[in-house]
Amino acid sequence: MTDGSLLVGAVAYSANVVPIWEGIKDYFEGSAAPMDFVLFSNYERQVEALMQGHIDIAWNTNVAWIRTLRQSDGAARALATRDTDLVFKTLMIGRAGDGLDGLASLKGRRVALGSRDSGQARILPVHFLAREGISTDDVELVIFDSDVGKHGDTGRSDLDALRAVLDDTADVAAVGVNTWQNLTAAGDETMSDLAVVWESEAYSHCNFSALPSLADDVAQPWVDHLLKMDWNIPEHRVVLELEGLTEWKLPELSGYQSLIDAMDEQGIADHW
Amino acid sequence: MSSKLMLDLVDAVSSAPVGTVVAFPVDTAAEVDIVRRWCDATGNSVLSVLDTAIEVFRGRITDPIEALPVERRPGYRLWVYTNFHCNLSCDYCCVESSPKADPRVIPLGEFRDLVGEAVDSGVQELYITGGEPFMLLDLDERLVAATAFLPTTVLTNAMVWRGDRLRRLEALPRQGLTLQISLDSPTSELHDRHRGAGSFARAIEGVHTAIDLGFRVRVAATLGTDAGNAEAELQQFFDELGLQEDQRVVRRVARQGSANAGLTVSRTSLIPEVCVTAEGVYWHPVAAIDPDMLVTKHWRPFAAALSAMRDEYRQYRIAGDVLASAFPCA
Repeated sequence: MTDGSLLVGAVAYSANVVPIWEGIKDYFEGSAAPMDFVLFSNYERQVEALMQGHIDIAWNTNVAWIRTLRQSDGAARALATRDTDLVFKTLMIGRAGDGLDGLASLKGRRVALGSRDSGQARILPVHFLAREGISTDDVELVIFDSDVGKHGDTGRSDLDALRAVLDDTADVAAVGVNTWQNLTAAGDETMSDLAVVWESEAYSHCNFSALPSLADDVAQPWVDHLLKMDWNIPEHRVVLELEGLTEWKLPELSGYQSLIDAMDEQGIADHW
Repeated sequence: MSSKLMLDLVDAVSSAPVGTVVAFPVDTAAEVDIVRRWCDATGNSVLSVLDTAIEVFRGRITDPIEALPVERRPGYRLWVYTNFHCNLSCDYCCVESSPKADPRVIPLGEFRDLVGEAVDSGVQELYITGGEPFMLLDLDERLVAATAFLPTTVLTNAMVWRGDRLRRLEALPRQGLTLQISLDSPTSELHDRHRGAGSFARAIEGVHTAIDLGFRVRVAATLGTDAGNAEAELQQFFDELGLQEDQRVVRRVARQGSANAGLTVSRTSLIPEVCVTAEGVYWHPVAAIDPDMLVTKHWRPFAAALSAMRDEYRQYRIAGDVLASAFPCA
């Protein structure tokens, strides 16, 4: 940035990305690390911009993080993450009363999966099934490849997959835990037609990614200030609530191992 | 089937831009309850419940009343039109008061009840107006009763303090009572044009009487469309009278009552100030005979009337904010 502000990239997966990032930018105004932001239409272009030095920090999905890591030969750094990113999960949701219980019970059944670039709705579910000895040939896949480029951020394919279960065109739907939490926010009984068939272990999701070219004495004040956002302060809470967290945290890199394994197994390229 | 309801709800609201309103169809009270609970849990807000839909505001609504300075919030101040008859027939009177006007007096007992309920509802200041309140021979009893609970201001033209009324004035409490005297011009020409021949001289006399008796005095001017640069002259005149900033009020005439020109006011364009007359609760004292500004015909219970007014104001402001935020995108 010409004024010395850090430039943070994010993907415009919804109209609400603008108020989120305007709010974060406002929060950093007057701090030791002021920032501006730029929005991309997809994660591919954002990672490319980070690698080429057009932006200083990228707010990446887990898939975009791993691609950043690989394209930088492991040199990229994860600066911060949401508390909800540390305990992200994939859930398999089926019809209540269908008798499904655990991944093994899905053999021969119709499994609805989301966008091909979504860690939680596609890449990891396939990995978890394979780990259980169920290949994609052992189930009937019902694919909802919507909003490709957004890595599942829109939640569109999660909702489509769940509708398929209700419409009886699928037996289970693989969705991110955030989608299920949103649907059951008014109480579990409001989703009583559906039931959780299986729940994955926790894994890491989004993070703020940077390259080594971002000096520590620039990055650290920015991270320090970010971690001070406070749910109990109404102006902060508006942003935190929209972005789906209660607290910013330091990342746990071990939480990305399952996705690294999944991308290796499925031959998902480091570049697009 | 509530699962489909939840899918539809999340689908409709989560993707909507913050600050917009989604009309979500609902069939039953149970569905309304689910939508309310979901909004509470997810940082969204129910704007209103219609016959077949519920309007959901994407995001949290900041209470428009909380955004106002404390002294501007509806319910901080209560206005009471004790009566509508007056010794003058000002040509811009917002409530068409005159000697011939139906007095429409709020009885003394009802007035006491009103003050009591207002105090219970958190009202911090009382303004008594009319008509000319000093036309009431029991005004002193009302003011003694009111000032026991609330700082009270009584609006007057200061022209009827003679004989028995002067003696009653002299006996009034000084503590907690302000006399707000109408004076529209620093000279008689403009003042008398609107308020009647000789009224300026008697108002000036009244100002001095009140000051000499040790009352806290505020002077209020209503500037008509013909006021020209009277405001600057008025301020100089107020300086000469030794009035502090908080002892002077200057406002433009509103097109209400007898005034056939002036500022246009409406419920959507005015921050409400609760105003009770013998005919009901009005949105604002400047429009206390305007049927469009009548909130309810009954002030009892006062808390309910105040609550209705606050809710209506919130809806106007929130709807206004939605429109305002939508405008640049059109």
